[in-house]
Amino acid sequence: MTIFAFLGPAVVTLLAIGIVPLGFALYTSFHRYQLTNLKKTPFIGFDNYVTVLTDQAFWQAMGRTMTFLLMALPLQIVLGLLIALLLHQPGLSLLKTLCRLSLVIPMATTYAVVGLLGQVMFNIKYGVINQMLGWIGIGAINWIGDPTNAFIAIAFWDVWQWTPFCALVFLAGLSTVPAEIEEAAKLDTNSWWEIVRHIQLPFLMPGLTAILILRTADTLKLFDMVFTMTRGGPGSSTELISLMIQRVGFRGFDQGLASAQAVILLIITIILSQLYIRHFYSEAQR
Amino acid sequence: MRIMSYLGAAASAIALTATMATNEVKAWSLEEAAKPYAGTEVEVVFLLRPGYEAAKQMLPEFEEKTGIKINIIDHPYENSLGEQVRDFVAQGDLDIALIDLVWIGNFAENEWIVPIETFTSNPDLADPELDIDDFFPLVLNAFGGWNGTVYGLPFDNYSGLLFYNRCMLEEAGFDGPPATWEELKDTYGPALTKDGKHAYALQSKRNETQSADSFARMLWPFGGSFLDANFKSNLLSEESQTGLKFRQDLMQYMPEGIVSYDHAETVNGLAQGDVAMITEWSAFYSTLTSPETSTVTDCLEIAPEPAGPAGRKPALGGFSLAVASQADEDEQAAGWLFIQWVTSKANAKKYLELGGVPARQSVYQEPGIAEQFSFVDALVESWQDGVPEFRPRFAEWPQITEIVQEWGTKIMLGEVTTEEGAEEIGSRMEAVLDEAGYYNGDKPLAQ
Repeated sequence: MTIFAFLGPAVVTLLAIGIVPLGFALYTSFHRYQLTNLKKTPFIGFDNYVTVLTDQAFWQAMGRTMTFLLMALPLQIVLGLLIALLLHQPGLSLLKTLCRLSLVIPMATTYAVVGLLGQVMFNIKYGVINQMLGWIGIGAINWIGDPTNAFIAIAFWDVWQWTPFCALVFLAGLSTVPAEIEEAAKLDTNSWWEIVRHIQLPFLMPGLTAILILRTADTLKLFDMVFTMTRGGPGSSTELISLMIQRVGFRGFDQGLASAQAVILLIITIILSQLYIRHFYSEAQR
Repeated sequence: MRIMSYLGAAASAIALTATMATNEVKAWSLEEAAKPYAGTEVEVVFLLRPGYEAAKQMLPEFEEKTGIKINIIDHPYENSLGEQVRDFVAQGDLDIALIDLVWIGNFAENEWIVPIETFTSNPDLADPELDIDDFFPLVLNAFGGWNGTVYGLPFDNYSGLLFYNRCMLEEAGFDGPPATWEELKDTYGPALTKDGKHAYALQSKRNETQSADSFARMLWPFGGSFLDANFKSNLLSEESQTGLKFRQDLMQYMPEGIVSYDHAETVNGLAQGDVAMITEWSAFYSTLTSPETSTVTDCLEIAPEPAGPAGRKPALGGFSLAVASQADEDEQAAGWLFIQWVTSKANAKKYLELGGVPARQSVYQEPGIAEQFSFVDALVESWQDGVPEFRPRFAEWPQITEIVQEWGTKIMLGEVTTEEGAEEIGSRMEAVLDEAGYYNGDKPLAQ
């Protein structure tokens, strides 16, 4: 009874906010579930899944999402690591404290606000980005209206918002490196890279695994920032998979198809997470 | 004696007539009609646009007279359909539906809204001054009617108009706006596109703006349409293709990145003097004439949209208000009283003066109105010659507009040709219509 009393509320809450909606999404994914025509919701087996898996637009959106992930995540990791290593250097403690505090600001800003800021700052005519480029002699760039530039702009914006997260996680990892080991290593070698590679990096692997899992999941479901900044356009150039699912489910009102897309996305996310855990986390455990 | 009795009868008749007349005058008043519903709360979705701000300013008078409380839920246009659909599906709180003309089929077929006949046939609720014939017939039919039944009364009413900067045109040697699309492109385009300024901007962002303001706007004046008489795609017809190719040609005179321009960017382009002409909804009149939001108020002029080979066929859009069937009896009655009042002939002038655009013919005939509001002549002319099915109004439009938005933008970006884009839109559109049952006779071919 005690176990049930302690676990019960958590289990009920999890069921209510996690499992029930997931179960409903699974149910609708096997039905023709058009929100504007709920008089006819026949069971259609795997039809929605077949439609999704054979839909070129779905795989194009998935491809864009993966490209976005491969562009933004490595940059966030590299820049975050560099910032963490700089902040890990001894001295200038007041400046470092200020830097650590300022790192929290982008992360604390709401996604939608970040997107709206981007829409204004990347505006071809009145945007501050083009104004700054003008100071160094670069002409106005059509950021939001050009398919390639729009994609670069949302990737840049994501890097701006989430590099601090990587930096803070790495900084936390660096603080776990025993000082005596670092000092001993410095006696052995003058090479900065050798110390990073052999002493500090092993302590960063759990953090790196967490970053990979969290940021991959976040990117796969990234919606607000892109929606408010470009709404997936121009054309489909910034329509990431979550935007596509939202479009199908809440603008086209085809909840059945959108649910099938979401279930497939969930499966892909789980597979990627498992790969990360097996590869990186087991590496860290060794 | 006989004379006396005649006089007596005449006096009685006069007294009776006077009493009847008094009763008739007293027979209906908003205050009396609303008495049983005092304290009722009515939920309605409003948009963040000038017409709604006007209605909000009028609301205190209604609430004071009736005791009915109108609770407004503000949404940007992009969210308003989704919010309402979810509310109606979940049998939520909305008592009045705000219906874009392209949603009317959807709302009516799902029985989410009540025909106005339910209320107009009830003498306790029907204002004898309602005068339904005073609404522009095109607007009443397109915004509030579906399959011969009227569900909503036109509330926030638009027609596409040509807003132009007279000073820029005069500087380039023109003494008036272009009368035809061809003229706009071939004569005005080259002369006005220079020194970082552009002759014309066509809002084309990938949302309803792409399908309504950009894609459809170039179909109808050239004789094209979305569907033929059999509900098959008409986008590959010579006329539709001419219109779509014209749009591609016209892009050379538009600002770069026009596919990311929504209403705000387009209106702002004209308001800041960067663009000489735009075709926008009449609702943006107050934005363009206010010195707070426009630098070209002294140069602003308005004309009907240019004509194409098939005639003027301006863009038609707007919203009606209808009573929601999910509301209880009191809420329905209170909701109807509000709709009837806010769209009434008596309030049309006030609504217009506060920044709204009423669909009442009578208000535009009042002396001084055309002089005070320079868009009136163009608007009235546009509402004589519009196309109700400018965008098909059936229940499947939300799915079809998504297809048009995606492929319409791809056409503009040059990712596909007009033929390839039309082919894609056509086949996907037909698949949606097929599934809905238009081709096997399950549904009537109504749009």
